[in-house]
Amino acid sequence: MRKKIARRGLVMGALALAAAAGIVSAQQKQVNVLCSVTLPWCEALGPAFQKETGIKLNFVRLSTAEGLARIRAEKANPTFDAWFGGTGDPHYEAWSNGLTTFYKVKDYENLRRDLRFAVGLSYVPIYQGILGIGINPNVFKAKNLPAVKCWSDLTKPVYKGQIQIANPNTSGTAYTFITTLITLMGEDKAFDLMAKMHPNVSEYTRSGVAPRVALGNGSAAIGIQFMHDMVEFKKQGFPIQIIAPCEGTGYEIGGLSLIKGTRNMENAKAFMDWAISPAAQSIGPKTGAYSLPSNIKTPVDDDTPNPKDFKLVTLDAKKWGNPTVRDPLIKRWTSEIFPLPR
Amino acid sequence: MVAAIPSAFSNRSSRALIPAVLLAVGVLLLPFVRPDRPFELFNWDLVALNKATWLAWLLFTSSAVLSVLSWLRLPMLARGYALIGISSGVSITVFAWLASTSSYFGFGALAALVCLLLVLGVGLSETGLIQSDPFIASSIVLCGIFVTLFIAFPLFVVLRESIIVNGAFTLKKMAETLSSPLFMVLENKFTPRSETTIVFGIATAGAVLGFGLMFLRKARVQLLLGTTLAGGVLGFIVGAGVFGRGAFATSLYLALIVAPTTVFFGLIFAILEQRCRAAWVRRILSIVGILPMITPPFVLAFALENWFGAQGLITNRVFGVDTNYFKGVTGVAIAQILAFTPIAYLTLRGSVQGLNPALEEAAQTMRSNPWMVFTKITLPLLRPGLAAAFLLTVIESLADFSNPILLGGDRSFLATEVYLALTGRYDPNEASVYGAVLLVLVLTILGLQRAWLGNTSFVTVTGKPGSGNFSMLPRWLENTLQGVLGFWGLLVAMLYGSVFYGSFVKIWGVNGEFTLQHYIDFSGTGLEVLARTAQVALVSAIVATLLGFLIAYLVTRQQFFGRSILETTSMLSFATPGTVMGVAYVIAFNVGPWLLTGTFIVLVLALVFRNMPASIRSVMAGLSQIDKALDEASTLLRAPSSTTLARVLVPLLIPQLLSGIVFAFVRGMTAISQIIFLVSPGNLLATVLMLSWLEQGNLGRAAAMSTVMILGLLGMILLLFAFSKRFSRNGTGLEGIG
Repeated sequence: MRKKIARRGLVMGALALAAAAGIVSAQQKQVNVLCSVTLPWCEALGPAFQKETGIKLNFVRLSTAEGLARIRAEKANPTFDAWFGGTGDPHYEAWSNGLTTFYKVKDYENLRRDLRFAVGLSYVPIYQGILGIGINPNVFKAKNLPAVKCWSDLTKPVYKGQIQIANPNTSGTAYTFITTLITLMGEDKAFDLMAKMHPNVSEYTRSGVAPRVALGNGSAAIGIQFMHDMVEFKKQGFPIQIIAPCEGTGYEIGGLSLIKGTRNMENAKAFMDWAISPAAQSIGPKTGAYSLPSNIKTPVDDDTPNPKDFKLVTLDAKKWGNPTVRDPLIKRWTSEIFPLPR
Repeated sequence: MVAAIPSAFSNRSSRALIPAVLLAVGVLLLPFVRPDRPFELFNWDLVALNKATWLAWLLFTSSAVLSVLSWLRLPMLARGYALIGISSGVSITVFAWLASTSSYFGFGALAALVCLLLVLGVGLSETGLIQSDPFIASSIVLCGIFVTLFIAFPLFVVLRESIIVNGAFTLKKMAETLSSPLFMVLENKFTPRSETTIVFGIATAGAVLGFGLMFLRKARVQLLLGTTLAGGVLGFIVGAGVFGRGAFATSLYLALIVAPTTVFFGLIFAILEQRCRAAWVRRILSIVGILPMITPPFVLAFALENWFGAQGLITNRVFGVDTNYFKGVTGVAIAQILAFTPIAYLTLRGSVQGLNPALEEAAQTMRSNPWMVFTKITLPLLRPGLAAAFLLTVIESLADFSNPILLGGDRSFLATEVYLALTGRYDPNEASVYGAVLLVLVLTILGLQRAWLGNTSFVTVTGKPGSGNFSMLPRWLENTLQGVLGFWGLLVAMLYGSVFYGSFVKIWGVNGEFTLQHYIDFSGTGLEVLARTAQVALVSAIVATLLGFLIAYLVTRQQFFGRSILETTSMLSFATPGTVMGVAYVIAFNVGPWLLTGTFIVLVLALVFRNMPASIRSVMAGLSQIDKALDEASTLLRAPSSTTLARVLVPLLIPQLLSGIVFAFVRGMTAISQIIFLVSPGNLLATVLMLSWLEQGNLGRAAAMSTVMILGLLGMILLLFAFSKRFSRNGTGLEGIG
C-alpha cells in the first residue's frame, strides 16, 4: 500500500513538474505581434522572421477593431510589442490616443510617397488595399440579375437579400465603406444610400473578410469588402468576379505600429524594419494576401489589384481616423440604418 | 467529525513545521516577483533577497520563529494563537508590499503566501477556532481563499464595473446600455405598424390565457396570480422576440423555444432507454450521451449550415429554398436543440431510472390505461427532473456563445454581446452591464427553481432500484419513438460525416476533389496550438479534479463555519455564463499584484473554476456511496484526516477521480466562451483558432482540426471506459458523471 502511494506521489510530482515546465517559457529573444492580416499571412511571418534574425515571433490574430480594443485594455501593461497590419484608421486612433509611438523604420524613404504623406508620422504604411464589390456570376446568371457597376446600383430592389457587408461596429472594412461614400457624396446622401441598400443586405457580418464566404458559396450574390481578400478566394476556385465601382472607390492603408511601453523594444524595432523589406512584403501574395505592398522595391504580384487600374477617391486618413469623427458616424449607423426593417 | 482532535491541548510538536520550513526555502530560491507577465522558475536577480531585502529577512525570521515554535513541545492553545498572529501578520505585510510597490507576484511570493496560509490553518486548528485537525483546517483556509479569489471576487468586479465608471458611481452607463437598440428595441419607427402595441397585446393575451386556464380549474388565488403573471411574461418574450430586436429579447425568446423542445426530446430518449425492447437503441443512446462532450464548439453549427443553410445541400439543392432564413434565431435554435438534447437526456435519465415501477403496476392493476398511467403517475413523479432539465437548458441556451456567434447572423444575443462589447467596442463597462444582466437572469432562474422545487439539486443521483418491472411501451409508440431516435441518429451522422468529408475535399460544396492540403495547412500552426491546448487542459483537469475532490470531501464529511457558503460559491461558477466569467477574469486580473492576463496560468485557472463544479458533483456522488463508518474506523485508529483521505477514500474513489480528470480534460479542450478573452501570444487555444479560420472561410482547415480533435477525444474516452472497467468493483465506474 505504502509503495502504491509513493508511486502515485511520484506520478503527481512528475505531472506538476511538467506543468511548471510548460508555464516557464524558454528564455529566448522574442517579439509578440498583434497580427491583423489574414491568418495564413500571420502564420508565415514567424518562420521567415526567425530565419532572418533568430528572433522568435509569437502572434495572436485579432481583427483591427478587436486589436485596438485589446491594446487599449492592456494600456498599463502591454502584452504586444508591435501591431502588424489591418486598416489604418485604428492604427491612427491608437497613435492619437498615445497607445502606440511612431518609429521611423530603417528604409522609410523606400515607402510610397503618397501613402507616407497620407498618414504622416503616425504609423508606418505597409500595404494598400482597395475596396471593391464582388459578385458571384453563377448566382447572377441563375437569378437573372442586372449587372452591378456603381455603388448606387446597390440600392436597386432587385438585389433584395443578396448583399453581404460587415458591421462597422466590429469591422474597419465597413467603416471604410462609410467614409468612402461620405467622401463621394456627403454624409446625408451616403446615409440615404445605405438606408436604401439596407433591405438588400442579408447579413452584416462581424468580420470584414467574412462576406466572401457567403459570396463564394452562393448564399449572397454581392459582397462588399477589400479586393485583395476576394482575389485570394477567386484563386482558390470560388466563382467570384471583382468590380470597381464607377463613382470611384476608397482604400485602406495597412498599418504597422510600435506599441508604447513595450518591453521588447529592440526586437520590435527589428521586426518592423524587417516587415517593410521587399523580402517580407512578398510573403503576403504567397499566402494569398494580394494587397499592394508599400515598399516601392517590392515586386508587385500580377494578381494584385493595382490602383492604376481604378478610379480612387482621396480619403483623408487623419480625419477619418479621429475618434471624434468616427464614433458619431458609427453611432448614427447603429441607430439609423441597422434597425431598419428588411 | 468524530474525535477529530484526540490530543487537543496536549503538548507536542506542531504540523506547522513543514510549511514553516518550506516558507524559507521558497523565499530563498524562487523568484519573488516578476518584471513582466511570464512566470519564471529560476532567476537569481528576482529572488526576495535581491528585490526586497528587508522583506526577505522578515520572512526568514518568521520562518525560523514559526519552525522553532512548531518543533518545541509547547502548550497548544498559546502556540496556536502565536501561529495565527505571526502568519496572518506576515502575509498581510507581504501583500501590502506587493500592492504598495505595484510588483507582480512571482512563484516565490506565491509559495510564501501559501505556506503562511497553511500555518494559519494549523494555528486555527490548534486553537480550536476550527474544530478539526490541522490538515482539514488548512484545506478549509486554502479552498476558501481560492474560491473567494477566483469565483466570488471576479463576479463582484463585473457587478462593480457595471455601475462604477472611471472610479465614480454612475447609473448612466447602465441606462445607456439598457436603452440601446442592441439591448432591446420594440418600436421600429420605420414601419407603419406599432410594434409596441402588438407586443403588449400578445403579453395581455398570454396573461388572459394563463388566468383563464387556471380559473377554469378553480385554482387558488395565489396560483391564479402566478400563472397570470407567467402568461404575461411569456407572451411578452414571444412578442418581443418576433417583432422586436436586441440581445435581451432575442436571447430569452431563443431560450423559450429551445428549452421545451430539448426537454421533450430528452424525455423521449430517457424513456426509450428504459422501456424499449430493441438493443440498438441503447447503443445509439450511449453514443448520443458522449458526443456533445467531445465535439468542439462550432462543429455542429457549421455542419448544419452546410446541410440546411441558405446554400445547404438539402434546403437549396433538394428543396430549392433560397433565402437567408437560417441565419438568426432559426439556425441557432436548431443548433442548440441538437447540442443540448443530450444534456437534457443525461439529466432526465437519473430521474427516469429512479422511478418506482411498483407505483405504475399498482395503477395498471386498478385498470388505468397506459395514457392515464403516464399522465397521472409517471409525469408527476418526473416533475422535479423535468424542471431541472428545463432550467438547465434555459441556462445553457442563454450562456451559449459558439452557436450564436456563427449562426446568429446580425441579431444580437446576450452572451455574444458581452464579447462584442469588450472586444469590438472595447467598453469594459458596457460588457459588464451585459454580464450583470446575464448573471442576474441566470441567478433569478436558479432562485425560482429553488423556490419551486425546494433544495433539489440539478444532479439526480440514481436511487436504489425498486422492485418490479416497467411495462414496455405500446408497440406503435415504441416504433414512433424509435423512428424519432433513428432520425436523430441519421442527422447526427450526417453532420459529423460532412465535417469529416469537408476536411478531405478541396472546397466544401464547390469542388469535391480529394486533397490532403487542409491537413497540411492545419499542421502548420494547428498542431502547435493543439499541443498547447492539451497542455492547458491537462493541467487544469488535474487541478480541478483534486481541488474538487478536496472541496467535496470538506463539504460532505466535515462540519465547519461557512460550509454552505463554500459549497454555494464553488457551485456558482457552474451557473455563471462563460463569457461573463471571461470578462470578469480580464477585468479583475489585468492590474495590480494579481496580474495574470496573458499568461498560461490564467487560462488554467479559468478552466479549473469552470470544471470544478462537475468534479465536486461527481465526487459527492461517489462519497455518498461510501459509508461514513469507514472514515470513523480510520479516525478511531488515530489516523489523521489526511491519512484517512489518502489511504481510505482516494483508493475507493480512483474511478471517479480518473474519469473526473478525463472529462475535465475533454471539456477543457472544447471550451470557448470562458477563454476567448484570455488567449495571448504563445497561449493561443484550438477553439479560438478555429473560430478565426471559420470566419475567414478556411472551412477545410477548420474541418481538419475538428476531425483530429473529435477522433482524439473519442479515443481518450474509449480508453477511459476500458480502463475504468478494470478498476471499478461493480463494473460501472462512470456513474454520476454528466
